[in-house]
Amino acid sequence: MSANWQSLRSRLPGSRWAVISVPYLWLLLFFAIPFLIALKISFAKFEMAMPPYSSLLNWEDGFLVLKLRLENYLYLVNDSLYVNAYLSSLKIAVIATGLCLLIGYPMAYVISRMEPATRNIALMLVVLPSWTSFLIRIYAWIGILKQNGLLNNFLLSIGVIDAPLKILYTPAAVYIGIVYAYLPFMVLPLYSNLVKLDRRLLEAAYDLGARPWRAFLAITLPLSKAGIIAGSMLVLIPVVGEFVIPEMLGGPDTLMIGRVLWQEFFNNRDWPVASAVAIVMLIILIVPILIFHKSQAKELEGRLA
Amino acid sequence: MASVDADAAGSNGTMVNSAANPPAPSPDRYLVIDTVRKEFDGFVAVDDVSLTIRKGEIFALLGASGCGKSTLLRCLAGFETPTAGRIELEGQSLIGLPPYERRINMMFQSYALFPHMTVEQNIAFGLKQDGMAKAAMRARVDEMLSLVQMNRFAKRKPHQLSGGQQQRVALARSLAKSPKMLLLDEPMGALDKKLRSQMQLELVNIIEKLGVTCVMVTHDQEEAMTMAHRIAIMEQGRIRQCAKPDEIYEQPNCRYTAGFIGSVNLFEGRIDKDEKDFVTIRTSAFPDPIYVAHGVTGFEGMEVAMALRPEKLRISKHEPDLKHNKAHGSIEDIAYFGSHSVYHVRLDGGCKVMCNFVNMKRWDSESFTWNDPVWVSWGDLEGVVLSS
Repeated sequence: MSANWQSLRSRLPGSRWAVISVPYLWLLLFFAIPFLIALKISFAKFEMAMPPYSSLLNWEDGFLVLKLRLENYLYLVNDSLYVNAYLSSLKIAVIATGLCLLIGYPMAYVISRMEPATRNIALMLVVLPSWTSFLIRIYAWIGILKQNGLLNNFLLSIGVIDAPLKILYTPAAVYIGIVYAYLPFMVLPLYSNLVKLDRRLLEAAYDLGARPWRAFLAITLPLSKAGIIAGSMLVLIPVVGEFVIPEMLGGPDTLMIGRVLWQEFFNNRDWPVASAVAIVMLIILIVPILIFHKSQAKELEGRLA
Repeated sequence: MASVDADAAGSNGTMVNSAANPPAPSPDRYLVIDTVRKEFDGFVAVDDVSLTIRKGEIFALLGASGCGKSTLLRCLAGFETPTAGRIELEGQSLIGLPPYERRINMMFQSYALFPHMTVEQNIAFGLKQDGMAKAAMRARVDEMLSLVQMNRFAKRKPHQLSGGQQQRVALARSLAKSPKMLLLDEPMGALDKKLRSQMQLELVNIIEKLGVTCVMVTHDQEEAMTMAHRIAIMEQGRIRQCAKPDEIYEQPNCRYTAGFIGSVNLFEGRIDKDEKDFVTIRTSAFPDPIYVAHGVTGFEGMEVAMALRPEKLRISKHEPDLKHNKAHGSIEDIAYFGSHSVYHVRLDGGCKVMCNFVNMKRWDSESFTWNDPVWVSWGDLEGVVLSS
């Protein structure tokens, strides 16, 4: 078996390289090149043309001139709409991440303590909604949250409220939508961390006089730090740029950068400003991405030790 | 004991008063395990075990894996609740007490040190749960670190320590709270052989210095014999024999313990002559009946087994000058251990016996070789007659 494999490998010297190159090719095609294009457009000027932006390189009086306009970036800094949109996006993302953590941690904890058979079913139930289109699932929330929707009708019929609540098109609806949509991204990394926790460490803590709650705070919680960071970053990073949920469930006053980006791009057709918005968002997100990678690397290191 | 307790509670009526004059438990009955039974979904892991353990004793539960020894230990620690039976420490029942309310600490198999805490934080963990003052805690941690000679490693994390060092930390952690009883779960399981024998003696010295009562679980008979004052041999949830190490070795009470501890030659047979001061046993292994120079409780014709340890057998080239207990055969296998050799001798009757030979002089082992015709013989009092 292994001899066959050896001979196969010697006959295909490039196979190793071919395997490694696939993810790099992916990153190049779908991340690096689009990023460079957006970066290029962000330095251009809006024009009523096709494509709707000026080119950076021009031939002027025998000179090849590269003009990097920073006006789009200056515009973002000077117009409070963009600054507010960034801050509001970050705020919503941080709060939603916190809510996901509060709901997801107990879920992941309980699932990790289940019998293997029930555990697989529970994990399945966490992932199952993702089999339906994201758009449809968010759309379904409109039916649940609207004035005469499922939730209001239910609350009215059991007599908890007298008049229907206004949830749809408020920030509450945005939070509900985000927490609902991103909860699996919190639960799964937390679960994979908690399921590895050595139960004997908890027994040792009980044995040394720690009550269950103290043992949780002193042992389980610190040892699941890597899972908490991974889950939080997996929620925080995409939520900052979220567009669909605030667009469908949020009111006109729900300001999120994803929405601003959409409006710049499709309504104003101002590609250069839209590109600058996207580039700045990416720069803001580099910090949590670095935190995420550091914690992943640390956990890998710990596992090897 | 129980009636005294009931009287005190009955006449005074309150728990506080009965605690004011507690029954003085005898040090011989420090820990009482009374018909403890533990079942898991119909499987009986511990089958009506009763034991009494003295104060200050090192007691070993010895058995093959799956014999129920660990389950019994977990019942003592409070991680399992017995299906039935009593466990009392100093006259106080432990049943229903969670582990964090028992003054019993355990050194876990492969130690279960907290990986995110330093050595001193690990040792301080138990003290912290009791709300001990900072200064006192500091002093106690230092004391424990000196006890196990780990002061230099106080700031290290567990993964930066060797197996032996981790064990020292685990021991210090489990002793820091001055427990009424120390439980050891396979204490040497994670150490290599050389370190093991060194740590066994060190561990015993520390435990005896502190005078803490200790119950250990092991599958390693050498470990149990070296460390424990008394050993209980468990098999299928039951205790087969409970005695001092030398008694277990020299006077096993059944075929199982005889075979489990050390190596043994077992000869099945029947009592031939049953006299007051001797018996003879007829076996298929030897042409003549085995002569035992003491009486046994039995009757003629009873099925018994004769247990003979290999080192009780003598091997010689010439016929020994004995009336009984000798047989002729030839050497079939030789296991050379350096200090001694074990010869597997095929007797003329077809049965194979193991026979130890101490290599007292250099090159002694060369005096016998394969297929040599030899005699094996043993003293009249060296065998043990087993009826169960």
